[in-house]
Amino acid sequence: MRRWVLPLLLLAEVALFTAIGGVSFHGPGDVARYFASYFGDLLAQSAPVLLLGFGMTLVLITAGIDLSVGSMVALVAAVMATRPSGPGFWWTAVPLGLVLAVLLGLTNGGLIAWLDIPPIIATLGTMIFYRGLCFVVLGDAEKSPFIDVPGYEWFGQFSGVAIVVGLVLVGGGACFVRSRWRRELLMLGGNRVAARYAAIPVNRRLCEVYGLVGLLAFAAALCFTARNSSVSASSLTGLELKVIVAVVLGGTRVQGGAGSIVGTFFGVLVVAALDEGLRGAATWGDRHLPFKISHLQYLLLGALLVAGVWLNTRAGADKK
Amino acid sequence: MLTRLSPYLRQRLAFLVAGNVVLLVAIALLLKQGASFSDVLERCGPDVAPTVLAGLGMTGVIFTGAIDISIASIIVVAGTVFGILVQRGGSPAACYAACVLVTWLLSMVNGWLVRGLRVPAIIITLAGLTFYRGLALVIADMAIPSFTGNISVPDEAFHGPGKVYGGWILVAVLAGALAWEAFARVPRRWLALGSSEEACRLAGLNPGRILQSAFCASGLFLGLAGLIFVTRVQAIEPARMALGFELQVIGAVVLGGTNIFGGEGCFAGTVLGALFLYFTAQVLVYAGVNPYFQEAVTGALIIGVIGLDCALHRRRKLLEELA
Repeated sequence: MRRWVLPLLLLAEVALFTAIGGVSFHGPGDVARYFASYFGDLLAQSAPVLLLGFGMTLVLITAGIDLSVGSMVALVAAVMATRPSGPGFWWTAVPLGLVLAVLLGLTNGGLIAWLDIPPIIATLGTMIFYRGLCFVVLGDAEKSPFIDVPGYEWFGQFSGVAIVVGLVLVGGGACFVRSRWRRELLMLGGNRVAARYAAIPVNRRLCEVYGLVGLLAFAAALCFTARNSSVSASSLTGLELKVIVAVVLGGTRVQGGAGSIVGTFFGVLVVAALDEGLRGAATWGDRHLPFKISHLQYLLLGALLVAGVWLNTRAGADKK
Repeated sequence: MLTRLSPYLRQRLAFLVAGNVVLLVAIALLLKQGASFSDVLERCGPDVAPTVLAGLGMTGVIFTGAIDISIASIIVVAGTVFGILVQRGGSPAACYAACVLVTWLLSMVNGWLVRGLRVPAIIITLAGLTFYRGLALVIADMAIPSFTGNISVPDEAFHGPGKVYGGWILVAVLAGALAWEAFARVPRRWLALGSSEEACRLAGLNPGRILQSAFCASGLFLGLAGLIFVTRVQAIEPARMALGFELQVIGAVVLGGTNIFGGEGCFAGTVLGALFLYFTAQVLVYAGVNPYFQEAVTGALIIGVIGLDCALHRRRKLLEELA
């Protein structure tokens, strides 16, 4: 049932917001061109959420959660932004960002695996900690060295994003789907004690998963900075919630042990279309609603999260 | 009362008392000429009151094995309602009552949702974290024409609980809560639920009702915390107010020796934990540390303490898991 619910929801959403936005079409070619550019833009805009969503799916499969993703991306972008601009940026800032991102991810993994802190508490702590480091690095400044780096803006365009996301989704997904690693993660999320008895290196797997989220946070930081071209210490707050809502909508259970990457893909698009649509409907909202329509986003994200978790829990209970 | 505490908790309380004394001595040594130590102590009461009061409620919820991370957003909704009523010309008493009532009601809603949907409390309240903040913004948009992001409350008559009586409210509630914890049956039932839901049911207790009573008590404590929080500021900003407050409160609770998985803990630890976090921040201020570093240091401190706590519990938990 879920297979067609999400694409349908996405189409309904897009249709609704297109109607509200008041776009006028002349002929079918116009419609096709509009939606081609719309979905291209949507993909490019939602690249960070999409990339992090794949990582978050794996994390949720292990019955964990990572609230620090937003702060992590912001911190990586902030540290990269402190390096001087120019062609040299490619071999100073970019590798630095990569190493930092993986280290941040492994820090989360280490706290969760070796110190046995509940994932939500550990990453709530690192969310604040990494955000604090953002302020240490940048202060109140807003930096934008990314504009003058040759070839950098490619990561913010449709082609660049499509290749990065495609590489992660198709390349990573193909290796992942039939791997022993995936089954070990599923087992680890389903029953940790059983996994330990089955000689699965539980702690190492957890570190690997959170490290992978760090790696994806680096890719997300590339796409984000290339598109927005500037970063400040408070950018990307609230990103983690969008990611979690998207993943949960995609059918991944928060209690662990089940999850789907394709579901996450559609979940992210639904959340991103909501985001874009509410922004596009600002003028309509001002005329017809007693409140700012952008504030509706918080309410809808919260409601979607509860609804998604509830549906997933019920689906899991039915199976048993 | 102390005889009921486990050796682990007694150790933690001793550590916190010693730590707080050391931090106070450090503050006394760092004080510049012209600043007096009694001022520091006097300010401490109202400053720490919201964290301690919210912490008492959170302690109860964590006793049962649940958690509530939407408390900051709940305070924001209460603050918004308070601000709107003030602008509409409500009397101070009515505004205060509305503030506490809204907080209590939203806490109860959290409890109902956790019970009714059978979803982990942390996920429900994570949704609440964003939902309630959005709710506050929408309410403010609708109730105040040309709402620009903050509701200013300039009249000093509305700052009583926060600026004048904060310390006294704290002392009174604290005394009541500690006595209640020592003699009443309800907090022990929360602990029982956190230890084992199954055992609770077999003993003839109703787990759902016990959970609800924890959220109910948390709502009342949080209402007072929110009242003090809201009446301390000149302007209420729904989008930014109380960001990160929940982590500070959870940090204080866990620092105080309450087991994050439920079933073990005490109110006194939470109070000492909140004081420890507060004095640490004050030491940073008096030592002249760059304010940009403060968030990072606080975050690192909380992770460090919780990490230490979990590492200490780890051995016992592993044995339980494999038994």
